Amino acid sequence: MSILGLQGTFDTSSAYDGHDQKSRQAQRQADKWMLPGAVMMTTAILGPIGFPLFLKGVALQRKAAAAGLSVRPLICTLLGYLVIMDSGLNSIGWSLDLIAHHSLINRTLVTAWGNMFDAGYFWHYNELWIGGTGAPGEKSWEIALVPTVFCMRLAAAIGFLQMKRWGHQWLIVTCWFGVIYWVGYVANMTVFADLRYNHVVFPVLGWWIYDIFYITPFLAIPYLHTVNREIFTD
Amino acid sequence: MKESSTALPPGTTETYSGLHKWLQRGLFVCLAALVLEGSFTFPFLAAWYGWPTLSLVEMCSELQKVRYSDDTRECVFPYPLFAPAEAAAQKTAKDDWGVQPKPQYKRIGFRDLVKIHDERVARQAAANQERVQQ
Repeated sequence: MSILGLQGTFDTSSAYDGHDQKSRQAQRQADKWMLPGAVMMTTAILGPIGFPLFLKGVALQRKAAAAGLSVRPLICTLLGYLVIMDSGLNSIGWSLDLIAHHSLINRTLVTAWGNMFDAGYFWHYNELWIGGTGAPGEKSWEIALVPTVFCMRLAAAIGFLQMKRWGHQWLIVTCWFGVIYWVGYVANMTVFADLRYNHVVFPVLGWWIYDIFYITPFLAIPYLHTVNREIFTD
Repeated sequence: MKESSTALPPGTTETYSGLHKWLQRGLFVCLAALVLEGSFTFPFLAAWYGWPTLSLVEMCSELQKVRYSDDTRECVFPYPLFAPAEAAAQKTAKDDWGVQPKPQYKRIGFRDLVKIHDERVARQAAANQERVQQ
């Protein structure tokens, strides 16, 4: 296609295609660093390795945006990776407790975390026949949430980062699940506060300071319901 | 189209631009915090509870001694795959039992496990020496 009336011709379709291709490449390149970095950080143990990889991806994303390329809106990038971090970190802790409760890493660092912030993961640990936490109700949350919500949240976040419509839709579904488990978890902890916070290194306030950053669903839901959905594709 | 709306990111309408701006700030803070927590929680915990002075297995044993108020407990590693839970039927843990149980173990301060470990080892060495002298 050419624009008439200008001196010479200007091929807008190839300019658009070129810009689109460069933008996609730049986005892919940034995600290639950010995604493995984020996944490593969700394992907690590999966190120090994932951290620089993630920062490198962030730098590439910023560079692409500064160069005028059509990369993903910043708020979508923040939201997608926050959900990955949130669901991944919840999954690793609860999966260790659910299926790897006698591994060394779980019996040292997860029970140490319990001793520091929430004794539900320290008190009478590995005493139930099913192993892991002995706090009332806690094991039920793990069985209910690890194989369902957190897996769905991880998948939804990846779809959302790809700007897919199903990613947006499933993020809405799983973020509402998130509201339910926040309310349920906090209520459970409060009801059994004596065993969960007695002689803990940083009780109650410490737990809130550490965990308040997992409020992803409460930040995501208002955005997901007010964003113009046309930016997501089938 | 108004000039201000051209500066909005894709997906954000003018009506919700204020909301999205504040949500973006919140998301940024949360992501930065989770990135730092994901990267540094375990190294921080390891340092607080005595590593590298204590190995991970020693740390595991010391945590069990505190949890079950039993100085004879040792962390079995590797733990046999289909064995019963390691603390099943233990009788030493101290609690005020009731509908709201209250644990009686002590709060573990910064690198307290190293101190607890060293003091116990010294106590045991002194007891052994006394026994030899008798």
